Amino acid sequence: MAASARKKKEKKKDFQKAKLKVGKTKARPDSFTSTSFKAKSIVLNPQSLATSAPSPTLQFNHHLSLLTSKSENQRRDSLAYLTTAVASGPLPQPLAVILEKIRPLLLDSSHAVRQQLNKLLRALPAEEITSNAGSLILLTRAGMTHLSNDVRLTALDAFEWLLETAGKEVVGIAGVWVKTLKCFLGLLGWQKNQDDNAENSKWSIIKQARARLAGADKIFVKQLLALTLFLDAGIGQQEQELSKLQPSTFPLWHTQFHMLPHRPNPYGYLNLAGAARDEESEAYEDRLDRQRVFKKLALAQVEDGLEQARKEGGEVGRAAAALRRAVNLGMMGFVE
Amino acid sequence: MVKRKLAALEKVEADLTNLQHKIRRDPPSYQIEFGNQYHQYEVYRDILLEAPSTTEESRVISLHDLIGFVSHVADCYRAITKNFAQDLIGLLSAHHAVLEYELRDKIVGSLVLLRKKGIIDSSTLLNTFFSIRASTPSKSLRALLFQRILSELRNSNSKTINHRLNRTTQNALFELVTSDRTTPKTLWAVKLTRELWKRQIWTDPKSVEIMKEAALAENKKVIIAGVRFFLGGDKEREEAAEEESDEEDGIDMAQLRHQAGINKKTNKKEKELKKAAATVRKRERKKNQPHPLNFSAFHLLHDPQGFAEVLFAKHLQAAETKLNLEQKLLILQLVSRLVGLHKLALDTLYSYFLKYLSPRQPSVTSFLASLAQATHNLVPPDMLEPLIQKIVNEFVSEAAASEVASAGLNAIREICARQPLAMNETLLQDLVMYRKSKDKGVMMAAKGLLSLYREVEPEMLHKRDRGRDAALSLRAGDKKRARFGEEKAGEIEGLELLEKWKEDERKKRREEKGLPLDNLSDEEADQDAEDEAGWANWDAEEDGSDDSGGWIGVHSGGSEIDISDDEDSPGPSKRVKIEKDTTAEKEPIVANEDVTNIPKLSKLATTRILTPVDLAKLQELRAQAEVSKLMPNKKRQKQLEDRHADDPFTAEQIEGLATLSAKRTKEEKIAMARADREERHQSTTAKRKEKKEAEGKSTTNKEKARKKNFMMTLGKAKAKSKRSLIEHRKILKAHSERKKRGGRRSNR
Repeated sequence: MAASARKKKEKKKDFQKAKLKVGKTKARPDSFTSTSFKAKSIVLNPQSLATSAPSPTLQFNHHLSLLTSKSENQRRDSLAYLTTAVASGPLPQPLAVILEKIRPLLLDSSHAVRQQLNKLLRALPAEEITSNAGSLILLTRAGMTHLSNDVRLTALDAFEWLLETAGKEVVGIAGVWVKTLKCFLGLLGWQKNQDDNAENSKWSIIKQARARLAGADKIFVKQLLALTLFLDAGIGQQEQELSKLQPSTFPLWHTQFHMLPHRPNPYGYLNLAGAARDEESEAYEDRLDRQRVFKKLALAQVEDGLEQARKEGGEVGRAAAALRRAVNLGMMGFVE
Repeated sequence: MVKRKLAALEKVEADLTNLQHKIRRDPPSYQIEFGNQYHQYEVYRDILLEAPSTTEESRVISLHDLIGFVSHVADCYRAITKNFAQDLIGLLSAHHAVLEYELRDKIVGSLVLLRKKGIIDSSTLLNTFFSIRASTPSKSLRALLFQRILSELRNSNSKTINHRLNRTTQNALFELVTSDRTTPKTLWAVKLTRELWKRQIWTDPKSVEIMKEAALAENKKVIIAGVRFFLGGDKEREEAAEEESDEEDGIDMAQLRHQAGINKKTNKKEKELKKAAATVRKRERKKNQPHPLNFSAFHLLHDPQGFAEVLFAKHLQAAETKLNLEQKLLILQLVSRLVGLHKLALDTLYSYFLKYLSPRQPSVTSFLASLAQATHNLVPPDMLEPLIQKIVNEFVSEAAASEVASAGLNAIREICARQPLAMNETLLQDLVMYRKSKDKGVMMAAKGLLSLYREVEPEMLHKRDRGRDAALSLRAGDKKRARFGEEKAGEIEGLELLEKWKEDERKKRREEKGLPLDNLSDEEADQDAEDEAGWANWDAEEDGSDDSGGWIGVHSGGSEIDISDDEDSPGPSKRVKIEKDTTAEKEPIVANEDVTNIPKLSKLATTRILTPVDLAKLQELRAQAEVSKLMPNKKRQKQLEDRHADDPFTAEQIEGLATLSAKRTKEEKIAMARADREERHQSTTAKRKEKKEAEGKSTTNKEKARKKNFMMTLGKAKAKSKRSLIEHRKILKAHSERKKRGGRRSNR
């Protein structure tokens, strides 16, 4: 009992008011800091007095660093500067460095910034993108599944651009083919239902989910088109590949296999250094592999979904028809 | 087309909390959204895995939020998130050293959350945490994990004791402590065990075993942590339990009910009231439950002899120990307590003391206390004699300072109290002479020794020193010299009282029936019938025991344990034939002894099982006998008895008498006299006034007038004396008028 009485007393102490008295100065609070000191001098940080403007490279780097600025106007302006700088001449920094910096802006909260970013991406030299596509695809996918509709739209734009510039390389990167397919199935609401109890209500769920999004039809069409592009890149007919395989010079056979490789990480499929890969994160380098995986994981669901989408008619129906064509073309020559 | 208006919530970008809230209400219809977010989590995880050590804000924060979101709703989508927990575990165990710290802590928290939701089991969680705890270089993460492990163990043991989990955890800790004895990294295992011991979650021999291994480690910190557990862990546990019961006293049901009648009735208030009532009820039930048996760590040790031997040889005897004096003393205390408590035979220990017994040795009183503690009645006296001789030579002489002498005498007394045979006659008679010393401390110490030997061995004293009681008992011849190794036969306290009472009762009954007093076979039947009655209504007795006011004075609740002691007794109704004969023979003897007043061991407990009624009566009789013990001359004896055998003997007790030698100042004396009083007396008014002042409340006008500065009143007084008669009349009139009206504000 004695202990608890003591505790009670201690607790009470915190709430006791200090007594104020007329004519006496108020007691100072515990957190009072004396500011009565005087400084003899004030030191200013040295400022640059250079008369010549900084070099373009320096400015470029400066603007790169400004991309993480808190102000969205600042970010947008810096992106605009980078766009013109990139368009005007050779890159002052390696592309990988630039991509590393601009990549997070795919998910930026400001619409203007994302628009500007798409412009910048389109200004980048296409031939170099092919070797750096891997770093972009992840965040593009993150953007496509973002909560905000607006972000999804711009991310789809970026995705389309990426497929147009480096479609073949993108689908061959480890993990991209399966994960992106799954991502699309999820976005379109076509994935297999994993909780079996909700089997019959699936249709209504998709409808609900789409109804909750503003401008859902527009984005749905856009997603369908993006998927069409993706399938084209992955399992579409690729004539030039066949022509490349033709032995051209008589005494040499399979010349291209003995030449220096013209793409980065040529032995990536061996996966010598990384962690062990499962089906999802495996790299599917040629068309046959991709077709096989597509058939196994997605074909049935895509066809089901297409059936539904075709019935909707209108813009959705047209996009669905395009996608069906792509699927048919892609799976045309496939035999197990 | 009209532009559709957006709802307020739709405008919000990336509002995970909102989505989480919606999912909680209706999981199936938000499955697609969740799938998208889960995908996003996977993307962010992959990005992070490219460079785990990144601290880039946007990446880390989004992943942080997404992990929180997914783990909060993971139980709604078990199929989608089936890999989530494994992912987090993998991420944490592979990259805990480089991850950004907030993210790292979030992962730890999420894992705990997943455990709460039942997605992973506690052994997985604990295994993960254990391995990371052992390998991480970050102090804050270690602290966090320690706390999480502790709370996890507490939670999983809160409803019922989770034996399996405890066993695996204890085995893991045991492995940890025994696998590498040189590292200080195992210290946390010791801490964890101690914490769980303190909270009474682990009370089994295995946890004591862990501590034993810790005490035998090579590392200083670990050794001392283990030793300190044995020396202080049980006390800590008791205090924690006391504090807990203290805290629970806070709820006043009557007040709460009263408030519920007055205040606005809301669902929340109602719930609170119900909850409070439930806790009160639970506590009531708990109070009536028997106290759970808690053995102290010493009693749960396997092989205390081996432990004490190894401890002594490894840390104290070995030449190359790195321990300092303080640490050595702690270990010595532990060894000596083990020896004293379990009556171990550790011969080398006593010669070890020899070198430290000199007044110049730092903290020598601790050594003396340890020596006394290590003494018990099975130590050969010739082992102790040189030690006593040394103490006498070094401490007790005319030349020595009084504190030194009193400490020495006190130590000798404590040793001899445990092993009286260690003293020889001449030495004792010499030492007893010190009771004539002028110094109070020395005098008291010597008197202590004298009174001890008056009790145990009066023959060794001079005739004039023996005192009246001892001399009388010597003459009567009932004091026999104790022999080495002799053990007193154990008995149940108050049993002879019960026997006597029973005998009286039986006689009364037989007289009523008009039967002869010594018919044995009848008596036998009589007894059986009585027993049956005793067993028949024992349930009723137990229930009624709370209400009947007669037994409130019951002293200690040890009787249930006492009967199960080494006295084995046959069943009352199915007794073997031989037993029957022995009892029949012995009953009259007991009666005879009663007459001649020769105390002898009662056979009651060895010949029959005591019924619950008997036990209750025994308690009552004991309580009655207890009253006589409170007489002043028995008080001190009782104090000694109350000191539990488990309690340590400390240096303070050795030094105690030395404080008598020092002269005190007047202030000290006053303070000492006042120490046991509560507070100074105060009138209620004064107390109220003080309280009011402390709360910063205002005073009455009367008080203000009384406290007014004298100089300020002068002017008015002067003016009063100079008033004209007219003015005076006016004032008086106004006053009487005001009185009629009832004050200035006419508040009638």
